[in-house]
Amino acid sequence: MRPNNWLLGTALVLLLAGGAGAEEIIYGLGVSAADTVRVSDLLANPDGYLGQTIRVQGVAVGSCQHRGCWINLASDVEGQTVRVQVKDGEIVFPPEILGDLVLAEGVWTANNLDLETTKKVCAAEASKQGEDFDPDQVTTCRTLYQLTGTGAVANKQK
Amino acid sequence: MRGFRKVCRWLHRELAFVAVGLTLVYAVSGIVINHAHHWDANYQRTLTTMVFEPVGIGPTAEITPVVLARLQLEEPVKNIWRPAPDRLQIFLADGTVEVDLVAGEAVRETVRRRPWLFDLNFMHLNSGRGPWTGIADAYAGILIVLALTGIFLVTGRRGLAGRGGVLLVLGLMLPLVYAIAMRLAG
Repeated sequence: MRPNNWLLGTALVLLLAGGAGAEEIIYGLGVSAADTVRVSDLLANPDGYLGQTIRVQGVAVGSCQHRGCWINLASDVEGQTVRVQVKDGEIVFPPEILGDLVLAEGVWTANNLDLETTKKVCAAEASKQGEDFDPDQVTTCRTLYQLTGTGAVANKQK
Repeated sequence: MRGFRKVCRWLHRELAFVAVGLTLVYAVSGIVINHAHHWDANYQRTLTTMVFEPVGIGPTAEITPVVLARLQLEEPVKNIWRPAPDRLQIFLADGTVEVDLVAGEAVRETVRRRPWLFDLNFMHLNSGRGPWTGIADAYAGILIVLALTGIFLVTGRRGLAGRGGVLLVLGLMLPLVYAIAMRLAG
């Protein structure tokens, strides 16, 4: 094989190898848990799953723009989402993941926010929605539940 | 000492040629990533606003085809999501359309990888892992050899015993002082 042909052949093999796995993208450790918990079930009884390694599935409808350290997966119930948070740098969710069907696995955790942090979170949410926010109206602390993700598999939607 | 310096010079010269490409990759990407809090170093985001006749807040299955028809999107839709009764998100291959169903306004965010910079950052951050881990480790080793052999290249007043020595101490002090200052600042 002449050098040019060799280069062309190598490029073709790489292209085919890349194309063959393009449908499914694995992040981190992937998924291995046996059953998938429905997001609506999870959110209906969040304390019941605390500390458990679980697997959830949903369309990626939000992602961290700065470092790709989280994604929000859509629930089977309209309007509900669940956050999959991963260790910064260990897994990076690219913006292209939005709209893909994602299977994510990790430990279900709860972050009990103090009142000051709760107000900050509420202010950020109101700002994102373009709504007015009065910090004095927030009087109770909030618990943020999330999946501390160890891996995910995204099925590329075309 | 003369033989040692000869080896240093040989190592420094040969490895420097090998290191040029990777040094440019890490240096350019280093500047870009250094300013990651000022801009998105990997992606270029463009916002376009579209106005259409409002469709109201009917059932998702009913309003979705109407919205798609009114927006006249040319590319295939990856997925649809209704985050709130008055909002719809349309996911495309190159971005997202946030639709206000009541106001009849849609904001399309197109996301594109920055040419070259994305690849440079991908290498710098070792996002692909695998073989690149070994390449990056080898390059780091080469840099260490370059730094250490570089100290012994020049002799006399411009070398380690003179100006070179002063510059060497200054260079060592910079990260040291910064580290101490960071610790003191808590």
